Amino acid sequence: MKESNFTYIYDGTWEELLKVISWLFKEKRKPFQIIEETQYENNLLSPPFKPVINIKTLTLKKYISKEVLKISYYVFLSNEKDKELIIYYFLLNSLKYQKNVLYMRNLKCVNTALTISKRVSREAHKWKGFLRFKEIQNHIFYAEFTADNNILGILANHFKKRLPKERWIIKDEKRDILCLYDQKNCYFLEGKEIELDLKQNTEEKNMEELWKSFFKTIAIKERVNKKCQQNFMTKKKRKNILEMEDEQ
Amino acid sequence: MTLKEKLEILADSAKYDVSCSSSGSARKNKNGIGNGAISGICHSFSSDGRCISLLKILMTNCCIFDCKYCINRKSNQVRRAIFTPEEIASITINFYKRNYIEGLFLSSGIIKSPDYTMEKMIETISLLRNKYHFNGYIHAKAIPGASEYLIQKLGLLVDRLSANIELPTENGLTLLAPDKNTSKVTEIMSFVKKKKSKIFTPAGQSTQMIIGATNETDLDIMSKSSNLYQTYQLKRVFYSAYIAVNKDKNLPSIKMPPLKRENRLYQADWLLRYYNFKVDDLLEKDNPNFNVLLDPKADWALRHLEEFPKEINKASYYDLVKVPGIGPTGAKKIISSRRFFTIHFSDLKKMGISLKRAKYFILCDGKYFANISCFQKSFITSNLILEEKEEKKESVTQLSLFYEGK
Repeated sequence: MKESNFTYIYDGTWEELLKVISWLFKEKRKPFQIIEETQYENNLLSPPFKPVINIKTLTLKKYISKEVLKISYYVFLSNEKDKELIIYYFLLNSLKYQKNVLYMRNLKCVNTALTISKRVSREAHKWKGFLRFKEIQNHIFYAEFTADNNILGILANHFKKRLPKERWIIKDEKRDILCLYDQKNCYFLEGKEIELDLKQNTEEKNMEELWKSFFKTIAIKERVNKKCQQNFMTKKKRKNILEMEDEQ
Repeated sequence: MTLKEKLEILADSAKYDVSCSSSGSARKNKNGIGNGAISGICHSFSSDGRCISLLKILMTNCCIFDCKYCINRKSNQVRRAIFTPEEIASITINFYKRNYIEGLFLSSGIIKSPDYTMEKMIETISLLRNKYHFNGYIHAKAIPGASEYLIQKLGLLVDRLSANIELPTENGLTLLAPDKNTSKVTEIMSFVKKKKSKIFTPAGQSTQMIIGATNETDLDIMSKSSNLYQTYQLKRVFYSAYIAVNKDKNLPSIKMPPLKRENRLYQADWLLRYYNFKVDDLLEKDNPNFNVLLDPKADWALRHLEEFPKEINKASYYDLVKVPGIGPTGAKKIISSRRFFTIHFSDLKKMGISLKRAKYFILCDGKYFANISCFQKSFITSNLILEEKEEKKESVTQLSLFYEGK
């Protein structure tokens, strides 16, 4: 069987994906598919292949600029089917064209990678604004969100700088994963690993009422434009945005 | 009075200030709470479609001035309230911790004297910065007529300072705001310009003009803006469509705020700041107001059709940004890409450049999007107006829905 027919398997982590791609470059192999182990379904035409890689330091990072690497990472966080293959071809081209690859929009893989990465960073940026914490038991601030892409890490990083002295938990509802922050480090867990008491006290309810009343008051009646509001705060996001809960 | 009632009164009287931007400051979190995001972050959108990023409130709506257009003028019978510094600081921190807001926008009516008012504002913001170690975004209004040493003090605490010019001409201001004068506002602007640094108002200064309360033309307004940008290096001039909150013989009695006009002014304002347009390019004495049917750039392009169509693969940056539908980001993308390949219409789409307006004014590798005989003023004009109408239809339905509901 030809090598280009293989489906290459990795463990679903970013570091491992980079290792597999480096290895493919080194071996001059073209993958039919690269996929997370748990996602693999038997396919007679493309047998699975799990490369044994003995690289300790990743040489690939030396040859690829930070910006290209960041774009690839954002593609990795997306929910795009075949994102691994897009990253493979994007990195392959960036070896060839170096930094100029960022301008080669006429190449399909480059254009796709740039578009997807933008989509991910936009979604993350929006949630940096829309995320709503509420104080639950033990002075923990808790927030939930629903996003297409896996932006929990980006959000955690943002709030680590912003609220370093609080203890907070952010939950990605769709993926059922959480990030816990204990005033020092972030810990990533699956939903089933933790039980939370989401009860709020009266003070917290009052704070929410205060915000809702500010939100209502600040709008200018003579300028009401709900369509414009909806363009910015889409219906899908509203169930996680406190002040929009009544207006779904 | 409960805290909630106070907040309602003091947010309600602050809502006419348009600016809510939280961009331009990269303030770091120094062992406390909060930081600045250079691009700014919108946290919510109110039902009028405006972004909410800051807790926008007045310290008090009591005022010794009697500006005719202002809801808080002293002769108005409205409920008055005043926040203590501790109350403002506590709401800001509590809202910030819950990620409702990006920071604080503090303005105030004038109590006792401009200096007294400024001192109270400084006390509030010092409390936030020094006791609560708050490093989030703060925008404060400088009170015209306050002493320089107070503006100096305030500027070192906040990310942005602003003083509202309110009306484009001195005549307008004398008519409607007899207690104010333009020179007091411009004194603040030149002081802030002189002092601006990484630690003094890092996000710069802005101002605001009311549109449609007096009979100035768009040319008057744009000339004023252009002058303000050049003289005081303002970050932004905001335009606020006049809303009739008071009745006065000197005020126009309009039912609907002139939103379309406001929209045109914002479009033109961007052309001045990022597209190298001059006021004279856009408006002239015989034609001092913007076309309601077309955006200012499309309108300009149609009047200068001899400069088009422009070849995407050759035109300079300055020529590219003159094409309706192409902005600075798009022009930069085009220039960096065409070094590597010849750009066709499909490539422009891939770059995320909207062809809706642009297609009428460009050639890609010598080709026009349709038969070149279509490149005629009448054809392009009618198509562009159709596009605008589509957009307008939506917003008009929205407004009428609201009024029926009322």
